[in-house]
Amino acid sequence: MQNNMNEEMLIIIENFTPKIKQCLHQTSYQDREDLEQEIKLKIIEKLTMKEFENTPSFWNFFV
Amino acid sequence: MCNEYKIIEEFFYRNREQVKNPIIRSFLADAQNLYLVQHAILYPNDCNLKMVDETFQAHYQRVQKIKYISNLIYFFSLDFDKKKRRLQNRFLLVADSGLMDDGIRDEESEEEGLLEKIENEQLFKGLQKLTDKQLQILEMIYVKDYSIKVIAETLKTTPQNISNLHRKALKKLHHIIRKEEI
Repeated sequence: MQNNMNEEMLIIIENFTPKIKQCLHQTSYQDREDLEQEIKLKIIEKLTMKEFENTPSFWNFFV
Repeated sequence: MCNEYKIIEEFFYRNREQVKNPIIRSFLADAQNLYLVQHAILYPNDCNLKMVDETFQAHYQRVQKIKYISNLIYFFSLDFDKKKRRLQNRFLLVADSGLMDDGIRDEESEEEGLLEKIENEQLFKGLQKLTDKQLQILEMIYVKDYSIKVIAETLKTTPQNISNLHRKALKKLHHIIRKEEI
């Protein structure tokens, strides 16, 4: 379970790398590496802490 | 076989509005998911329905996560830059204030009395009107940075007395300056 989650996280972070790189332009040149690290940390923190709930049943959409 | 297609087609036709829903559409875009759904439509037993539901919920959560993280990255980077800039504005680098320079100036200035340091004309006039003792106490507190207790010892009185005199001096000063302003 733990391993599975870590792998999922890695995949998510990898997939989001272009988006992260793009957002690094928000800050000045010197701070970009810091920001990249902080973002990744935040993603890991949120993925482990946050519960994504309230998923509706598939058949609720259909009659 | 022909009948099966008909059932599936009819099902999707009946729910054509729902199929346009982005979450449903992205779910059905996966061939494996589509197969599961078709299978469940043809044979709607508990097991099949449940299997579709489980895969759908996994898909839904994944979409939720991606959406959440996408927003997180965007707003986090904005906040990060704001924070950095705020700190930068707060702690400006003053390039011409050397470390050594400061020390020397401080030592020099301790030789001078309180009155020599005052640049504000009103404040200077006000200070001149104070008694010698009050001036002496203010000088010790604000120029030499002594504690009340040390001042009491040097003037051979109690800390309470020093505190009172200090407060009175400030009050008087405040009063004088106010009067001049009016």
